[in-house]
Amino acid sequence: MPFSPEKFISEAISSIRATVGKSRAIIGVSGGVDSSVAAVLAARALGKNVNCVFVDTGLMRKDEAATVKSSLARAGVKVEVIGASKLFFYALRGIAEPEKKRKIIGERFIHVFEIEAKKEKASFLIQGTIAPDWIESGAGLRDTIKSHHNVGGLPKKMGMKLCEPLRELYKDEVRKVARALKLPAELSERQPFPGPGLAVRIMDEINEEKAETVREACAIVEEELELASREGKMERPWQYFAVLLPIKSVGVLGDKRAYGYTIAVRAVESIDGMTAKASRIPPDVLERISERITRELKEHVNRVVYDTTSKPPGTIEWE
Amino acid sequence: MERLSGSQEKPWRGYFSGCPCMKVLIVDFGSQWTHRIHRTLKYLDVESQIIPVTTPVKNILPADALILSGGAIRVGLGDASQVGNARKYLDKFQGPIMGICAGQQFIGLHFGGKAQPCKVPEFGKVELFIDEHNDLFEGLPDKFTVWASHNDDVVGTPGFKVLAHSKDASNEAFKSESRPIYGCLFHPEVEHTEHGSEIYANFLKIVKK
Repeated sequence: MPFSPEKFISEAISSIRATVGKSRAIIGVSGGVDSSVAAVLAARALGKNVNCVFVDTGLMRKDEAATVKSSLARAGVKVEVIGASKLFFYALRGIAEPEKKRKIIGERFIHVFEIEAKKEKASFLIQGTIAPDWIESGAGLRDTIKSHHNVGGLPKKMGMKLCEPLRELYKDEVRKVARALKLPAELSERQPFPGPGLAVRIMDEINEEKAETVREACAIVEEELELASREGKMERPWQYFAVLLPIKSVGVLGDKRAYGYTIAVRAVESIDGMTAKASRIPPDVLERISERITRELKEHVNRVVYDTTSKPPGTIEWE
Repeated sequence: MERLSGSQEKPWRGYFSGCPCMKVLIVDFGSQWTHRIHRTLKYLDVESQIIPVTTPVKNILPADALILSGGAIRVGLGDASQVGNARKYLDKFQGPIMGICAGQQFIGLHFGGKAQPCKVPEFGKVELFIDEHNDLFEGLPDKFTVWASHNDDVVGTPGFKVLAHSKDASNEAFKSESRPIYGCLFHPEVEHTEHGSEIYANFLKIVKK
């Protein structure tokens, strides 16, 4: 039987009601389709008893906070934006190891949510966790591929109980639910974005400057691939972004020696994120991306490469 | 909503008792794709439950079929000791069994084959050549693309017939000649494998017999 979003929606709403009861809850949204769907379901289930929170970690996409607020407003959900970028950059300074980064981010998120929950007298945290999040976080015989911030990154002690209505779903099923909920297309069709944000697109240590560089590079990749798909040159990939590599190489800019970082462009075809294939981007589109990144970010980047790895052996994001 | 039956955390409570439908248990060797097997079966209208390898043998006996998932364990390098009661399942359970990846290697090893590191491991896209179209690959083309993720394989299992191969793996799929036991080294449960759902449907046809 194919997945029935309508049946799922009615079951999820009664399950959220049964779990949370008369208590209050907060829900963390990131602007991705998973947490947006969870927020709409929670709002329908709990009405005024749920508060929707967006934590701005400073590691979000370009203009993210404003976009999320307006798209979710159109879906009937009011979002409170909490600026916490200083907190996140401070906690992440000097950390290069990907698993450490993810765990610090997970723990900081909970820290912010706990403050919020206390204010709201909320005892539940609703999350848009989906199947790949807990699968890849590992447990028992299952190896930890990466600790998703909302599962493997949770601190051992938490002052809130969890409610995760989308735990059994994969991304393609979440999108079907989003469409059935009539979420705006910019939410339901939005490409996935990792919970730890740009932190996992900066290899090695993180700082504000690197975050700014990779944010701009991601925006260029998004703009150019979306343009190419509108022009019919290719299908819009399932996920597409830039990764800032800690590798410096020699270049020449205006007859002057340059020594800058490398950006890897990643674009993949997938259905559920559990297997993926590198997209076949037409050469002229790749050239255009390369030109724009090296020109617009010339202070930082003088080389652009394309990642052709499938999942497996790679994963979609680099960390 | 009750937690769907796929959740690995849900302890065994005789989920299937009283249910007239087909009962498939997925023995979880810890694959990234164990839950994908559950989803594939669900889309084929078959309810299944993912169970840990520590599940007592008496609890698995009422099932109509077993599927042994893949996993990070390397059964040929001594990790077979980590699979709890799975050896007993192979000895005591007489219904249809299918092993995937590490599950296939475990079956082959248990019945006397040699599980070993492959000369060339396969990650991602692999071209599969079907040698025997009989039950498992019935109605499928002679060759198609599948997705794999393995360091090891299993060869020379007495009483087992190879059903498919690839350029680098001589045993991509096999079946027992005396019992309804099957194995695939590749992963029919992932989206990038062509005809994957048909392979599970063919296995379910064998279960219905």
